[in-house]
Amino acid sequence: MPGPAIHVDNLSLQLGAHRVLASIQFSIAAGSLHCFIGPNGGGKTSTARCLLGQMPHTGTIRFEWFNGNKGNIGYVPQLIEMERTLPLTIDNFMTVISQDKPAFMSPKKEAKAAIDHALDRVGLTAKRSLMLGSLSGGERQRLLFAQALIPNPDLLVLDEPMTSLDEGGSRLFEQLIGELNREGTTVLWINHDLDQVARLADNITVIDKVVLAHGPTATTLTADMQRGVFHSQDNGWAV
Amino acid sequence: MTPFYTWLRETLMALSDAGIMPSIFFYEFVVNALLCSIVIGPLLGCVGTMIVAKRMAFFSQAIGNAALTGVAIGVLIGESYTAPYVSMFSFCLLFGIVLNYTKPRTRMSADALIGVFLSISLAVGASLVLYVSARVNTHILESVMFGSILTVSDLDMNVLLVVTIITLVVGLPLYNKMLLGSLNPSLAQVRGVNVQAIEYIFIVLVTLITVACVKIIGAVLVEALLLIPAAAARNLCRSLRSFVWTTMALATLSCVGGIWIPMQWDIPVPSGGAIVMLAAIFFILTTVIRNVVPGFREAKL
Repeated sequence: MPGPAIHVDNLSLQLGAHRVLASIQFSIAAGSLHCFIGPNGGGKTSTARCLLGQMPHTGTIRFEWFNGNKGNIGYVPQLIEMERTLPLTIDNFMTVISQDKPAFMSPKKEAKAAIDHALDRVGLTAKRSLMLGSLSGGERQRLLFAQALIPNPDLLVLDEPMTSLDEGGSRLFEQLIGELNREGTTVLWINHDLDQVARLADNITVIDKVVLAHGPTATTLTADMQRGVFHSQDNGWAV
Repeated sequence: MTPFYTWLRETLMALSDAGIMPSIFFYEFVVNALLCSIVIGPLLGCVGTMIVAKRMAFFSQAIGNAALTGVAIGVLIGESYTAPYVSMFSFCLLFGIVLNYTKPRTRMSADALIGVFLSISLAVGASLVLYVSARVNTHILESVMFGSILTVSDLDMNVLLVVTIITLVVGLPLYNKMLLGSLNPSLAQVRGVNVQAIEYIFIVLVTLITVACVKIIGAVLVEALLLIPAAAARNLCRSLRSFVWTTMALATLSCVGGIWIPMQWDIPVPSGGAIVMLAAIFFILTTVIRNVVPGFREAKL
């Protein structure tokens, strides 16, 4: 099933006295690979969280699902600190997200097969017995990606998933995202690596409280725009 | 359920009389206490793992203290002071729901907010109970705080059984969702978990369990059995599966052993104290093992 198109109109977000987003407007094409870029604190993650229904925003967000049936959303959050109090292994975590049967009981056959496949895709099979608290940053990001693969996502929202990955990990993630996108998944990717964005994204939206630019990557992420980004790096733009 | 309890007690008494079972099974109150133990142990052990995950260690203590107010209200409106369940459940549920409602509306961490509610509930509860105790001439404060596992009635066992069934039916299918909600609420929400609703359900379940156990083992002991076995198990376990099952086993062993050991060997220790001490021994043992056996060591910082 192809992923959804998303239409955002007049989206604003105010948190306390802070105006995070002001009248944002853009569209994401069905089955496209769409990147959000912009400075730190510019509202990229907030925009994504508005789309996921986690922010008290105003304005309209419309999902156009294939045949009107809501599909699966996979979400890879920013690198998070993992639970250290509980003896929770990678396997346990994947079981928690894969089935309703309590994770302290034996996993269901179909859930186990899905977990095996997801862990294999992100290269964590050999480390599945490790506790979450002992994982490195890159391993945590692989785990967060693995959970987004169950069930197979129609919309995949990625919030800087490659920050702590080594070169091999980055290549693997690029390959996985490409595969999913080719299968029809709409990918929304918050990305600071402009080379990667130029190479992979169909469309981009540049966000800094408002939409600075929006459109096909080839025509929007121009040399001028890139110079602007690099020039503004001293003023808080992250690349 | 009374005919079943009667049949069980009479069977065990007969077996004890025949020398097949230990002599302590000859006493009705011992059988009642052990029956409660084998229900309370796994129940509190399992819920304790979630309490630890959600960092709500003192929530049940706050509910236990709120039970004091519930008892006092019950006595004032004419309920039996030995089992004022309607008032206890009503007030404690209201207390737990208000606490959970307040949580996202303050900028405090969960443990600090629970601390605030715990203090308020103790102050109000103790004051009211002391006032009521003078009127009915009984030691309600002690019985709520420390319970009386050796004076358990069939009604107490029925209440415990019903709460246990509710917890199994409602809580088990939601266990993973509750855990995910505490690990990462944002991720849980995207995965279709109604994090707030699940939180309220958990609060209601812990409240029901705490109130059902208060009469039997007391507010202080509920807290101890929710925390100490989980802490002991955490020292040695390296997966959720072993953690939950070990916690349930240690909690059950502590309950059964705490009742059986003092009676079997005439040790002058109240059962409540013995239960906590046994759990504490498990915790000390596992802490020693964790620090002595190299295979159990983890990063200290």
